This record gives sequence, structure tokens and C-alpha cells, in this order.
Amino acid sequence: MTYFFRPLAVLAAALAASPAAFAAEGTRVQVRGEIIDTWCYYSGVMGGPESVVGTAHHTCALWCSAGGIPVGLLAEDGTVYMVLKIEGDDGNAGGDTQLSLASHEITADGIHYERDGLNYLVVEEVVTDHGITNVNHEDFGAIPGFAIPDPSK
Amino acid sequence: MKRFITLLALLAAPAAAQDFSEGSEAKTWNLYAEVPALFEATVVDATCEITGDCPANCGDGKRQLGLLRSADNVLVYPNKNSQPAFTGAAVELLPFCGQTVEVDGLLIEDPDLSATNIYLVQKVRTKGTEEWTKANQWTKVWAENHPDAKGKGPWFRRDPRVNARIDTTGYLGIGLSHEEAYEAVQ
Repeated sequence: MTYFFRPLAVLAAALAASPAAFAAEGTRVQVRGEIIDTWCYYSGVMGGPESVVGTAHHTCALWCSAGGIPVGLLAEDGTVYMVLKIEGDDGNAGGDTQLSLASHEITADGIHYERDGLNYLVVEEVVTDHGITNVNHEDFGAIPGFAIPDPSK
Repeated sequence: MKRFITLLALLAAPAAAQDFSEGSEAKTWNLYAEVPALFEATVVDATCEITGDCPANCGDGKRQLGLLRSADNVLVYPNKNSQPAFTGAAVELLPFCGQTVEVDGLLIEDPDLSATNIYLVQKVRTKGTEEWTKANQWTKVWAENHPDAKGKGPWFRRDPRVNARIDTTGYLGIGLSHEEAYEAVQ
């Protein structure tokens, strides 16, 4: 093996050996945005992106979070950060912390990672929980329409 | 020597969208940006893969799992299992933690929303085996974990944590009563 290719051999061995060979250094950020359910947002299964956030979608956001669908932080600039941890809670598949923040607007301080076109965020601190601020049910109703059962039945 | 040149080329090449639809038997969900995708991958703990924080057994069910695609080393993020029931994919993939598998399902690629490498997994099998496992076990696992929540209706109407949140802040999350929230969306 030539001197030139030796570093590549070392890299190849590292890639083969490590369970997280591409784990990268993140960047500290502070982001303000809404905790959303990413499947409804990305897939359009229930309508456009404006309708699957806020109060209109709150019940569904609870269902999806409890159901183990990844939650994201939809930032003010439209970037979606897939949330990996919140204040040390790594339960990102249906965990209690993320469930308690469904539809909430938060200011988060944490570490941002990018991988294969997606943004990821480890929230080290919820600096401010602004509560549910996107009151959009008057525009969209409940999304999905059956989210709120008829109380008379 | 050729292997190293190939590796060098892979590392240097920009990420390019590939077509993984060949051979896929994925059922459509009639989603705007869905693309059938059958591919080989390693099941990984997504948080571990990205941050290097790696507990045993992919987090043992607490964490989202990723699919590290063999063809291009792209980390695909399974958001959804095959059930139309507000249910994710981690439960379906956990039995395959660390294994090389084949998966069939739908990729979501929507540049308008910056959605890429988002996946709905419909079936999975260990590489080299014939039998597929359908990715529809979530509700069964939930029922096993919630024996006190038996009753009529779907799981999401009976889930204790969801109902506790609704009892506290209402269906819209802003403190309206059930009746008020229902009226507000009519």
C-alpha cells in the first residue's frame, strides 16, 4: 500500500468498525419555533403545511407524538429540525417530554447537526416555553376533522 | 487499489438522488411526494448515528431508529409504520437493531418542504431471508403495554397520556372545554 492510500485504509477501517462512524460535531444554535409532528407536516397526508400545526392540529400532534412519530421544531424561517433530545430526555420515540410540548412554541438552545439533507437538534435547554401561540383552528377547523368528538354523543 | 479509488470517489461525490423503486411492492398512500422504495440498509439508533451517544440495543425502544442505506450510506429517517393510526416506525424496526435488512415502503421527497429521506416503512426482513415482516405491530405492542386501557375505539382515544393532556388543556391545547372546543371548530 502506498503512503497516499494509507489514510484511506484507516478511514475505511473506522467506517467499518464504528456503529456511529459519521457522528459529527454539531453547532450551537438558539432556535425559536413550534414543536410539530413531522409526518403530517412532510407527507401532506392531512393537508397543507399551514393546517398541520397550531391549535387546529393539536390533538393530532398529541396522537402522533405518543404514537412514536418523530417530532420536529419548525423554526420561524421554515427550517424543520428533527428533535433528538430535550433537556437530557432522549426518548424521541414517544417520550413524555416531547409529548408535553406538542404544538408549543419554544425557544431552544442546543446543538444542530446536518445529515443527508435533514436538520437535527439536541435541545439542551428550553430557554422559554411560550405555550401554544399558533391559534389557527378558526381558519382550518380541527385537522383531522374527527379529532374532536361530538360531546353530545 | 480499486476499492480505495471507489471509496475516494464516494466520499468526494455530491449526494445524488437515486431511484430505489425497482422491485418495490409498496402500496400507495396517494401522497403528493411519495416514491416507492425498496433498499438494503442497516438499522441504527438515529441519535447514536448523528451525535455519537450510543446506548445498548438502539435505546431499547425509547429512540427513533434510522436506516443506513447500503447503496450510498445515506441515513434514511423512518417517520411512519404501515398503519393509518398515527404510529411511528421505531417499534417495527427495533427487533432488527444492528442488522442488515431489506425494507419496502414509501420515500417522501418534497423539496418545497425540504423533506428528503423521510420514509414510511411497510415491510422489513433480515438480509438473506425470504419472509417479510409487515410493519404493523405498533397497536399490538401498545395494547400489550396498556392492559388497563382496554375498550372500544382506536388506541389514540384510550391512551392515558394523551387523555391526561386533553383533560388538562383541552383538544385545542388552549384550555377550552370539550364543548367549547367542538363549537369553535364547527
